[in-house]
Amino acid sequence: MRRAVAIDLKIPDNTAYTALVALRRLGVAVDRVERSELYFFDDERDAAALAGRVAADETIFNPNKHRLTVLERDAPGRGEVWIEPLIASKGAPAAIAWRLRDGSGAPVARGVLAAAVERLLCNPAIDRPLTAAGAPDERDA
Amino acid sequence: MSARIAVPVFPGTNSEDETVRLLRDCGGDAELVHWSEADTLRQFDAFVLSGGFAYEDRIRAGAVAAHDRMMDFVLTAADAGRLVFGICNGAQILLEAGLVPGTGPTRRPTAAFARNAPAPHFVCRHVYLKLALDPTRCPITAGLPPEALVPAWAAHAEGRLAATPEHLEEIVAGDHLAFVYAHADGTVDAKAVPNGSALGCAGLVNRTGNVLAIMPHPERDAWNYNHLDRREGDDVLAPSGGATIFRSFVQALA
Repeated sequence: MRRAVAIDLKIPDNTAYTALVALRRLGVAVDRVERSELYFFDDERDAAALAGRVAADETIFNPNKHRLTVLERDAPGRGEVWIEPLIASKGAPAAIAWRLRDGSGAPVARGVLAAAVERLLCNPAIDRPLTAAGAPDERDA
Repeated sequence: MSARIAVPVFPGTNSEDETVRLLRDCGGDAELVHWSEADTLRQFDAFVLSGGFAYEDRIRAGAVAAHDRMMDFVLTAADAGRLVFGICNGAQILLEAGLVPGTGPTRRPTAAFARNAPAPHFVCRHVYLKLALDPTRCPITAGLPPEALVPAWAAHAEGRLAATPEHLEEIVAGDHLAFVYAHADGTVDAKAVPNGSALGCAGLVNRTGNVLAIMPHPERDAWNYNHLDRREGDDVLAPSGGATIFRSFVQALA
């Protein structure tokens, strides 16, 4: 099965903060932005072994500043978008995950996420945005 | 009174000093404008966005700067027909702002100067830009001869023009391709392109011709001492070919 490994900063993420400030300036109603680098691995049955292998790769993981999670899913969750480059670069993350939250800490509505993607997080000339499939969010009504 | 040229400085811009120096050497009335002084930009007649790493290239190169308050003034000025010239990171900002190629709505990019290919590495290489337009199509190039060759230094990891096939067709059909990479003798082939750029593109212009974005740095080949192909006996302190496009820019403001 394909597994996604998320690498986050456990120190303050200045890029996520810059995105938050820029999105607010653009009028997108978001209160918190979180970001992860995603790496995908095919045919991985043992999550713990995968985590150990990735954590040993010093080019992408530094235990002093990063947190590593093997995701239980291989698609974005609510309030989340995965931005994948149309042309992958060797050694670079396969995608960047952005999680947007409102003032209560809940994932933002689909419409808010869509605005953030369209106005800042994705350049369609080079990126492809992936968001959660499913029923429309009632808060978008 | 001469036209005033602003060189906006975003957090992370790093080529502003040589850009201002060259504009002044070419007779331009140029000055730096820092992001904290954005309101003063309305007093300027033309804009040169220089190279660097505005906002540390966070999210994407040029993406955050394209929405900076300084760009509100630049967009208004461009819409009014004022000249805007972006170099390297300045060019990336203009693409992210949708000013060039300008085939979509403002601040909705239809192209990008993306990570180099096939190797996604930083490239530092002496290059030549060949004018691909009728020079009069863009006031900034109007002082150059047809098919002019401008020497410059490519210094970027993200300079490859990327767009959908439809938008690339629009770039060609709309005469937006301003410069292509060439060899020193003017010939054009894939070996002259340092970054895998679509169409061999080194620069783009908008529909009305008043906004020009180029990736390589002609301001770093403005005097013979930093011109790679200078000949024995050349005065090392004399201007070299990179200055020609700045001279043409200043002439357009006269």
